[in-house]
Amino acid sequence: MLFRNGLILPFGGPSDAVPDQVSAITAEAALGPGFPPDFRVDLLVQQGETVAQGQPVLRDRRAPDLCVTAPMGGRVARIDTGPGRALNHILFFHDPGADRHHYDTGGDVAALMLTSGLWTGFRARPFGGFPAPGARPAAICVMAHDTRPGALPAAAMIGEGDDFARGLTALAGLTEGPLLLVQPPGPALADAPRLRVVPAGPLHPQGLAGTHIHALHPARMDAPVWDIAAQDVAALGHLIRTGYLPETRVVAVGGPAASGQRIARCQPGADLHGLAQPVLRPGPSAILSGSALDGVESRFLFLRDRQVTVMPRPAPPAPPHWFRAALMRMSRPAPLIPTVALEQALAPSLPAIPFLRSLSAGDDEAARGFGVLSLLEEDLMLADYVSGAEPPLAAVLRGMLDRIATEGGAA
Amino acid sequence: MKGIWSRETVALVLIAAMMPVVVTWLLANGPAVLPRLVFVLVLAGLWHLAFMLARAQPPSFAGALSAIAIALLMPPQIGLIALLISVSFGVVVAELIFGGWGRNILNPATVALAFVSFGFPTEIWPVPDPQIGWAAIPAALIGMGFGVISARLIGGALIGAGLAALIGWPLAGAYATAAAIVLVLLVADPVASAATRLGRWLTGGLFALLMAGFATHWTGGNPVQVAVSAALLTALAAPLMDEIALMIWRMGRRKRLVP
Repeated sequence: MLFRNGLILPFGGPSDAVPDQVSAITAEAALGPGFPPDFRVDLLVQQGETVAQGQPVLRDRRAPDLCVTAPMGGRVARIDTGPGRALNHILFFHDPGADRHHYDTGGDVAALMLTSGLWTGFRARPFGGFPAPGARPAAICVMAHDTRPGALPAAAMIGEGDDFARGLTALAGLTEGPLLLVQPPGPALADAPRLRVVPAGPLHPQGLAGTHIHALHPARMDAPVWDIAAQDVAALGHLIRTGYLPETRVVAVGGPAASGQRIARCQPGADLHGLAQPVLRPGPSAILSGSALDGVESRFLFLRDRQVTVMPRPAPPAPPHWFRAALMRMSRPAPLIPTVALEQALAPSLPAIPFLRSLSAGDDEAARGFGVLSLLEEDLMLADYVSGAEPPLAAVLRGMLDRIATEGGAA
Repeated sequence: MKGIWSRETVALVLIAAMMPVVVTWLLANGPAVLPRLVFVLVLAGLWHLAFMLARAQPPSFAGALSAIAIALLMPPQIGLIALLISVSFGVVVAELIFGGWGRNILNPATVALAFVSFGFPTEIWPVPDPQIGWAAIPAALIGMGFGVISARLIGGALIGAGLAALIGWPLAGAYATAAAIVLVLLVADPVASAATRLGRWLTGGLFALLMAGFATHWTGGNPVQVAVSAALLTALAAPLMDEIALMIWRMGRRKRLVP
């Protein structure tokens, strides 16, 4: 592990709090934050209607098999869709007495994941977003390890019991390729057919899916690789065992401006103020869904996030002198100087500086040679943080991926 | 939240890393070299200013880095006009017309010194004091510690020097001193040197081999002139070394990953 890439970050290591035993369902929750952009939906419920926990509430207009389910039992308080019925958000009010939706788990795993909304736990590479229903990935990467500052420890992700192993076995049916299980060093967390255990060290970015997919099973246009969080795999195991979606997910709450750390059990899309309230310190702070590196200030928990970070809200910086501001604008993209810090911020299997140069030059061909199709925005967040690149490398990568998707006819 | 390794941070850390060399040089030569240092600094600064006003390129502390290297290695008796032309050539043609430090492909100080070497062949090059060569060691250590100088490049140079000694091209005396100074000041520039891991080993090794070969076979050469020529050839070969490294990377990856 000593010679693997990674950086020690000033925000501290993984969360070492003891997970809460009681669940902390917040009074409000929302679907929508963290969904892919321009996610167009057909609604299955009306505003004001009462829904059961886990009941399908909308389906993807472009792929009608893909449903999204209610994060908790309660009332649909507000539905907000944009032009073309693109989902902005659906707000729910909690009702403790509400039912839970029961699924018949006898059939196909893919169909079960699509109707129960667990399919939204998948993220497809190349390009990101939900994989198309019916597609077969060349490999699935299960992330039971997270190295972002303040992230959940692996034990809290997979939970108690054998739900994780059951979910993993079910996932193996979705692909003919390998099932990569990224986990901390030590004995394998579970066993499944074609499972390949990938031990990863404690330094960021070793706990990102992109790091391992790029090194072990790069995604191609004709061979997509999906990644999924271990908690979603455990949720699948729970669903198969009981027929119900789990009511809560485990979320790490902490951050530089929090008074302590907490590992809470809350519903998906939970209200972040409700979650962070026990650890909030007086004074201005920003509550991010995600880590200090890649978090976004939000009212509700994002779809894929298992982490809430409370950051100090600094006083807005004085605007720079107009001449300096104009100079800085003129010299964009700011040149990247090769440093060890920048190299350590990317996957070790990637020639960091040539890749970043091809990225900022917009050279799609060279970047594809370096394996850009295996990467998503989160894989460049650390390089952005280290170099303060302007414009952000993650945004440049998104532009390049969109361009490749359009030109390759895969959009 | 932003990290600190922007262009200006790297330039400032590099200047700080060069301080052992600069201080030793000033102590060894006394105040006589100060006017030249100030002249080169001001001239480089003026060119940065001109490009800021004409091309909206933000000036960079990297200009001071080049100026220090030029003033330290330039022939001491060089005329004012020759100094003006060569410094301007290096700073403008090797750095500023590409868009400033970070976008250039050759180190401006290397180009300025090579320009003197070709354009004013009668100039008498300085013979560096041995203590400046020793001061290059802490400079390299500081640079490597902060990650702005590649340890692979320095390691490659040490291996290259060892190999050269094995084949009978020893690097010793004033040549070793000049090689150490030029390695730290010119060859290890993070922008103009190779950018891949293997490429850096190769680049460092190539510099040491060229330097040792020139030291052994270049009759009538001066250590600094020889070292600057080796640095220029190494910098020109750096993209080739990167390309070799990337080719090997691609071959290994294809063999390992394609079923």
